[in-house]
Amino acid sequence: MMSIKAFTLVSAIERELLMGDKERVNIECVECCGRDLYVGTNDCFVYHFLLEERPVPAGPATFTATKQLHRHLGLKKPVNELRAASALNRLLVLCDNSISLVNMLNLEPVPSGARIKGAATFALNENPVSGDPFCVEVCIISVKRRTIQMFLVYEDRVQIVKEVSTPEQPLAVAVDGHFLCLALTTQYIIHNYSTGVSQDIFPYCSEERPSIVKRIVRQEFLLAGPGGLGMFATVAGISQRAPVHWSENVIGAAVSFPYVIALDDEFITVHSMLDQQQKQTLPFKEGHILQDFEGRVIVATSKGVYILVPLPLEKQIQDLLASRRVEEALVLAKGARRNIPKEKFQVMYRRILQQAGFIQFAQLQFLEAKELFRSGQLDVRELISLYPFLLPTSSSFTRSHPPLHEYADLNQLTQGDQEKMAKCKRFLMSYLNEVRSTEVANGYKEDIDTALLKLYAEADHDSLLDLLVTENFCLLTDSAAWLEKHKKYFALGLLYHYNNQDAAAVQLWVNIVNGDVQDSTRSDLYEYIVDFLTYCLDEELVWAYADWVLQKSEEVGVQVFTKRPLDEQQKNSFNPDNIISCLKKYPKALVKYLEYLVIDKKLQKEEYHTHLAVLYLEEVLQQRASASSKGTEATETQAKLRRLLQKSDLYRVHFLLERLQGAGLPMESAILHGKLGEHEKALHILVHELQDFAAAEDYCLWCSEGRDPPHRQHLFHTLLAIYLRAGPTTHELAVAAVDLLNRHATEFDAAQVLQMLPDTWSVQLLCPFLMGAMRDSIHARRTMQVALGLARSENLIYTYDKMKLKGSSIRLSDKKLCQICQNPFCEPVFVRYPNGGLVHTHCAASRHTNPSSSSPGTRT
Amino acid sequence: MRKPDSKIVLLGDMNVGKTSLLQRYMERRFPDTVSTVGGAFYLKQWRSYNISIWDTAGREQFHGLGSMYCRGAAAIILTYDVNHRQSLVELEDRFLGLTDTASKDCLFAIVGNKVDLTEEGALAGQEKEECSSNMDAGDCVSPRAPKQVQLEDAVALYKKILKYKMLDEQDVPAAEQMCFETSAKTGYNVDLLFETLFDLVVPMILQQRAERPSHTVDISSHKSPKRTRSGCCA
Repeated sequence: MMSIKAFTLVSAIERELLMGDKERVNIECVECCGRDLYVGTNDCFVYHFLLEERPVPAGPATFTATKQLHRHLGLKKPVNELRAASALNRLLVLCDNSISLVNMLNLEPVPSGARIKGAATFALNENPVSGDPFCVEVCIISVKRRTIQMFLVYEDRVQIVKEVSTPEQPLAVAVDGHFLCLALTTQYIIHNYSTGVSQDIFPYCSEERPSIVKRIVRQEFLLAGPGGLGMFATVAGISQRAPVHWSENVIGAAVSFPYVIALDDEFITVHSMLDQQQKQTLPFKEGHILQDFEGRVIVATSKGVYILVPLPLEKQIQDLLASRRVEEALVLAKGARRNIPKEKFQVMYRRILQQAGFIQFAQLQFLEAKELFRSGQLDVRELISLYPFLLPTSSSFTRSHPPLHEYADLNQLTQGDQEKMAKCKRFLMSYLNEVRSTEVANGYKEDIDTALLKLYAEADHDSLLDLLVTENFCLLTDSAAWLEKHKKYFALGLLYHYNNQDAAAVQLWVNIVNGDVQDSTRSDLYEYIVDFLTYCLDEELVWAYADWVLQKSEEVGVQVFTKRPLDEQQKNSFNPDNIISCLKKYPKALVKYLEYLVIDKKLQKEEYHTHLAVLYLEEVLQQRASASSKGTEATETQAKLRRLLQKSDLYRVHFLLERLQGAGLPMESAILHGKLGEHEKALHILVHELQDFAAAEDYCLWCSEGRDPPHRQHLFHTLLAIYLRAGPTTHELAVAAVDLLNRHATEFDAAQVLQMLPDTWSVQLLCPFLMGAMRDSIHARRTMQVALGLARSENLIYTYDKMKLKGSSIRLSDKKLCQICQNPFCEPVFVRYPNGGLVHTHCAASRHTNPSSSSPGTRT
Repeated sequence: MRKPDSKIVLLGDMNVGKTSLLQRYMERRFPDTVSTVGGAFYLKQWRSYNISIWDTAGREQFHGLGSMYCRGAAAIILTYDVNHRQSLVELEDRFLGLTDTASKDCLFAIVGNKVDLTEEGALAGQEKEECSSNMDAGDCVSPRAPKQVQLEDAVALYKKILKYKMLDEQDVPAAEQMCFETSAKTGYNVDLLFETLFDLVVPMILQQRAERPSHTVDISSHKSPKRTRSGCCA
């Protein structure tokens, strides 16, 4: 078992002081009261000493006793027991079965000669019940068999208050309040002398070993139990502490919180009441007295008196911590709670928790360490400061003094073991990450976040970026230098950005993309920069890097302009004209931007529409020139051009027509003609030049989109006319005409069509058209009939209502009151509501304008 | 030191595994233990109550201390070893008398420990925390170490105890609920044992508090009595 040093044994009275060279004089009993130390001897002397304590720095105090006087009691019997009653200035002396009272200072017997006779032994009640401050309660074991007596002892008289007889002969007694704790011949009992109730505690054989009964605190006793046990029992006869296991032949016991001290022939043993463990053993031969006096523990042999000086609790705890016995140290500290003022305790306990945390930390017991740091409210910087270079240079932190641990830094703690070092770093990462958002971090968030950033950067940890893009307190200069050192340029850019230095951030990122510095954090850094600039509020910065992003990729770079959040565009330099002039050098980007303006934003400005159309056209022409074969891209641009020409009404048609002249783009020309309203011409191109009947049909449809039906009909008729005009010889056109009719039967005026058709065409041929036309016509007729019927019935309903209202007469008399103003009618004019209510005309009018007034019903 | 609200005491012959049971429950481990000297105790927080659990020494030498430990106990766990019939006999002969000092409505649990040493126990250990209701010996044909004490024996003892205490079977928990077979080594049924008892002890604490005048002066007395009774899960 590991031991600690809880007590030091120091000498109090040298034997020369007491008996000189008289061999046969022995110490019988000791009493200590404050600085007064009394010793009783076997030759009937009482000695009085003054005890002086001299504290020694870094060591146990030393004591010197100066003899005041000594007095012979006039008998040839030993002095058996001494007890001081300081409130009465009396010393109770048991000698020859008689307790006499002597003055504490001059040791003179009281003049009255008051004494208690017939006492074998006695005990003072330290929890008195009488309430009289000028008396002490004394309990004696009488020389009369099986008898206990209670006395009140005053300055110069004694008074018996109670006599109790016990079932067996009592051997030892202790008192607390009304409770006597008695060692009888075969058992211990608790006896309440007020109620007379006895309670067995446990059996015990007094013949084998001396019995011990010792009051330790209010309502609790310490007893010598079987098998070398120190048992605790309350006045209720129950045990609330686990027993301590001392030796079999203990002759004396004392308590000095939190320790139980026991004396046997050879040793003084010290057990903790907190964990029942034996903590210390002091060799001490021939001891026969062990007693505690108000916290001072005295042991004596028959020749000398010694004091067990407790080491300060803090020192004991520090010793435990120094030998890494964290558990025990914490138990001891917790146990000391009630012996130390609350404020002082909390400071001390917190510090112990922190120290314990560092011990666990050094053993890489991180879970335990964390818990201790947390409950000890550790200043996190204590921990950070263990790691070299993590605290910012500007930090004002200095480690607490005295130090919480013995380590200079992590290198010393791990002795250079890289694996351990890495573990420690991982722990700190997770710990800082946990505490940074709690109140623990208050006051030094900068230190924590900067340290965390450094750890992340060094470990190439993903959370580095998370840290930088969320709220953080990383110190710029320190962090920047560290990130640069670890080549975390992208992160450094984020740091600049967080510190409102966007220009520096972008410049750094551009350098990475350009390959001037190496950092592979993001493979899509270019897109990131574009995105960053898109949402950047600093206009100058955007313009400064617009060229760079566009040079890298026109299509992606232009997003800087096209994806900007909308609301801010109005009032800054990002207006379309500025942008377009910037994009002059980047045709692809320009197209994209114009598409954005025209198609996405639907800007209704001729300039942009024309510009975009011209750009499309140029590209189409260019593609045609460069490649005779039609690639997919050619048609794609062409499709875009056509779509624009069709959808938009804003571009300059004539200008474009001019550009189209001779370009060999009949479809586009047709669209443009259509825009000018020259449908005949447009359709002519489609039918005759292109011979694309589907396109012609399509033309009719898109051209009439959003227009009235007659316009559409007109277009279809025009197309039909063109088909038919060619005459029956052109077979293809005839087929196209038939298809057109059959497919779009409803778009035609059937009567008109039938007149236009050649007579030779069979009904079979036009069957779908004719059926569609018929159905349409019949449907129209029926719809009209339904509408007619409904109108008639509505008319009938109104007629009925009118009849009903006119049917009955209304009597207006002086007695009738207007329902609104409650006044009688004075004129024959009134308004009647459909529910029969009559009101004045002016009331009805005012009610009509003032809807809040009460309404008797709606007016018809 | 927190003051316990209630007390549970483990009694039984030496070597039946009282300390091991308690350590299995409190510390979730099964270390080698040495013979308990005198006694030891743990404080267990169960909901808002502190329950002290006393481990006693089974050795004859400390027998005299048993009465004191049992004084005022709310529940007593009588422990035997399923592989030693004598340990069950001892419960009745030696230990039952110690419980006279326990509180009047004291609960009794009878626990047969070390089932892991029997054939069935080995099976039960595999099933971990399964309930022991179907652990009758019938289907176990050739056990290597046949169990010496069956659960029925424990049930019989339980009924004897009720008689001895002059308690009506209807006023106390059923024998089936209060007789356990456990293994401190595998942890089998250990949590069940202690937690069953805690749940039974809590209402007793509440009843005690209700009967005894409160030590604290309640300033807002108009609503105090209800609050003490309404434990959230009670």
